[in-house]
Amino acid sequence: MGPAMNEFVQLTVNGLVAGSIIAIGAVGLTLVYGILRIVNFAHGDYLTFGAYMAFVANVTWGLNAYAAAATAIVLTAALAVGLEFGLWRPMRRRGAGVTSLFLTSIGLALVLRNAVQFEWGTTPFRYRIDVFQSYDLGLFRISRNQITVVAAATVLIVGLGLFLARTRIGKAMRALADNVDLAAVSGIDTDRIVTWTWIVAGGLAGLAGMLLAVLQASLNPNSGFNALLPMFAAVVLGGVGSAYGALAGGIVIGLAMELSTLAVPFQYKEAVAFGVMILALLLRPQGLFGRARVV
Amino acid sequence: MSAPFLGAILSIEFWQYVAVTAGIYSIFALGLQLQFGFAGLLNFGHIGFMAIGSYTMAMLIVHASLPMWISAPIAIATAMLFGLIIGIPALRLRADYLAITTIAFSEIIRIFILNSVRWTGGPQGLLGFATEYTDFSRSAGRRLSSITHIGFDPDRVLLVLVWPTVLLLYLVLRKLTRSPWGRVLRAIREDEDAADALGKNPLAYKLQALAIGSAFAAIAGIFFSYQLLYLTPTEFEPLFTFFAWVIVLLGGTARLGGVPVGAVIFAVIFAGTRFLEFWPLSLLDDGDRAAVRLIVVGLILIGLMAFRPQGIFGKKEELLLDR
Amino acid sequence: MTVESSAGGHRTRHDTVLEVDDVTKHFGGIGAVDRVSLGVERGSITALIGPNGAGKTTLFNLVSGFIAPESGTVLFNGRRIDGKPPHAIARRGLVRTFQITKALTKLSVLENMMLAAPDQPGERFWSVWFRATKVRDREREVRERALDALRIFALDHMADEYAGTLSGGQRKLLELARALMTRPTMVLLDEPMAGVNPTLGRSLLEHMRQIRKDQGVTFLYVEHDMDVVMTHSERIIVMADGRVIAEGTPDEIRRNQGVIDAYLGTAGAPT
Repeated sequence: MGPAMNEFVQLTVNGLVAGSIIAIGAVGLTLVYGILRIVNFAHGDYLTFGAYMAFVANVTWGLNAYAAAATAIVLTAALAVGLEFGLWRPMRRRGAGVTSLFLTSIGLALVLRNAVQFEWGTTPFRYRIDVFQSYDLGLFRISRNQITVVAAATVLIVGLGLFLARTRIGKAMRALADNVDLAAVSGIDTDRIVTWTWIVAGGLAGLAGMLLAVLQASLNPNSGFNALLPMFAAVVLGGVGSAYGALAGGIVIGLAMELSTLAVPFQYKEAVAFGVMILALLLRPQGLFGRARVV
Repeated sequence: MSAPFLGAILSIEFWQYVAVTAGIYSIFALGLQLQFGFAGLLNFGHIGFMAIGSYTMAMLIVHASLPMWISAPIAIATAMLFGLIIGIPALRLRADYLAITTIAFSEIIRIFILNSVRWTGGPQGLLGFATEYTDFSRSAGRRLSSITHIGFDPDRVLLVLVWPTVLLLYLVLRKLTRSPWGRVLRAIREDEDAADALGKNPLAYKLQALAIGSAFAAIAGIFFSYQLLYLTPTEFEPLFTFFAWVIVLLGGTARLGGVPVGAVIFAVIFAGTRFLEFWPLSLLDDGDRAAVRLIVVGLILIGLMAFRPQGIFGKKEELLLDR
Repeated sequence: MTVESSAGGHRTRHDTVLEVDDVTKHFGGIGAVDRVSLGVERGSITALIGPNGAGKTTLFNLVSGFIAPESGTVLFNGRRIDGKPPHAIARRGLVRTFQITKALTKLSVLENMMLAAPDQPGERFWSVWFRATKVRDREREVRERALDALRIFALDHMADEYAGTLSGGQRKLLELARALMTRPTMVLLDEPMAGVNPTLGRSLLEHMRQIRKDQGVTFLYVEHDMDVVMTHSERIIVMADGRVIAEGTPDEIRRNQGVIDAYLGTAGAPT
């Protein structure tokens, strides 16, 4: 095993870790996009919100990592549902179109991000979680924060998969995301499903935000927004509305970003993610798992 | 947009600065108005084209020693070229994908600028492109002073350059949008297939709107470079595209005259909260003020979409946003 | 392009303005249009009928360039148009209307009409600046022609109103009037009378007849109302399940067993 192979394996590991965070965030984004046809530009800031809620739980209240994660999930889900009832639903009822809602989400993104900044400032924060221990497994090194992320992500992905495949709500969500008109005529209570979608999307975002801060060992008001475009790339790659596609897309984007550093300076990692997305849009706009739509 | 400035509350210098900023934003937003208000394009990468305009001109002056009068037109042409390059593949995508693609594009531009240190100065910024302009500005200032018997500092000279340009570009757009060409564009905006079935090529028109709008962004970028006298990548983040969108929406989509009004309102809010010291602003420090400013912008955007999507001057019948 | 045809048992020489030859298009495994061949004679008024899902609108989309056929060719005035984009086909003289009207609601009625005029140099960017006089003169001509056309369709009083304020029936008329502004050789009308009250519908048919008489425009229209079809078309093409199952005069179609069978599943035999 030469050093080149080592580097390759290391980057693959890094890519899987980063990719799983992108994947978790992307699932929420794609479900909302597929069901509500809303491109939620504020999704990244839902992540940031979750990360800061975890911070409050962990540092301000002194709770342990698991409790902090639970706090992040619950409070972000609550934020998402609150916004659904306070903002999205009234606007939809008034006939706001997709463009209008997209612009609203941009406004919301600005408000959320800067409210966080107003409250906590721009100095990067850190959790009181011991994540700096690093393990050398021969083929590659992995740090405790990376292990945490992968472990959490695996649990989450498995749980999410079961939820979407086995529960009635989950199946309804998938059906609705795939084809709103079809689902509407099949008698599914769309309002309830929509609420659940936001709960899932918000909860996932909250956790993803915390995991992102764990991985980067710091959090700042812009962390979530910086992850937004790679998440969009994952959504596009996987096919809009496809939860499994978003998971796969997230992993692919994560891997692409890390492995690209073999060829390209690391500062261009994000540009690589965007490049992959643009290529996907041009060559296969329905994504890896989407069906070709007759436009 | 930032400039180190220590003016008192109602000083003339403060308002000059606001006026110049408003003028630059007007030009920037007029380009977007053509693209969205008249062609229906969701261009969220507008700042990327401004960056191309600013940096191309600055790099030509610094690295190729070309004079300003040659570098500026080349910079504008380069921005238009990039508009075409992006447009040809991207304009075939549906609206929401176009939005994401254009943001991705402007971010790719910013990342390249940030990391091509040799050419663009990277995060430290690009300096030294403004000597020719400063000389010109000084001599123009002297000449104007002698004619009008008022002092003409560089900001005032820039004011005299920017706002007539705003007027000129406004008149150009007015003629364009009222012409048969503009009629085709408005038809495409509403229903591409209907226009197609009547013999109009939608892609060709959308490309033209994209290219022209990009030229406007580049022109704004050129004035911006000469207001700041240096360039850094942080001035070209997606946030500024969103500002242009707020200005266009505030003034009213497809209302050309609304753009300068929206730009002035915007510039006043922005510069006002940055430099004015009266209560309650005086309670907040710089960082907090920045956050409050952006919260206000976000709330304006949400408020417009929720309560008055046609903006100040728009007509409800021509509302584009119910798609 | 002239062909000999033995339809109806007698040989006639036709001038075929539109020739569809063996055209096929599948959607997800279903043959929406399956090896369809047909010809439309210049200056004729032909109806295209068939049960829902027969492929009529798909055929329109294929002919007008909104969809490309998988195989087969479409000839218009002797030249191939399959695979060409809609605007190119429209410029060659073949225009269409849509089942769900596409009146441009954010433009005025008059602007809708003026938009359709084919030779307005002002639609080209450079001409706006360098041919301003010519553009202005042409605008005047186009405006006159548009108002004349609107008068014929009794829509001139709405000329400056937003097209969005028109009723459904008025929008159908506007679409037809607009299509005719392009000075077409042939017009495809997709259900021109759907949702239109019978009086308005009859006037629409009268307009078609008159325009065919004055300008020699060929019409191919999709219609479900059998009364209309039987009395107002010279030729009928019947489609079902993506195929042409019969062609001929109204009398021939009325007596055609295949057609009766196809319709027995829906509204009963055509009368």
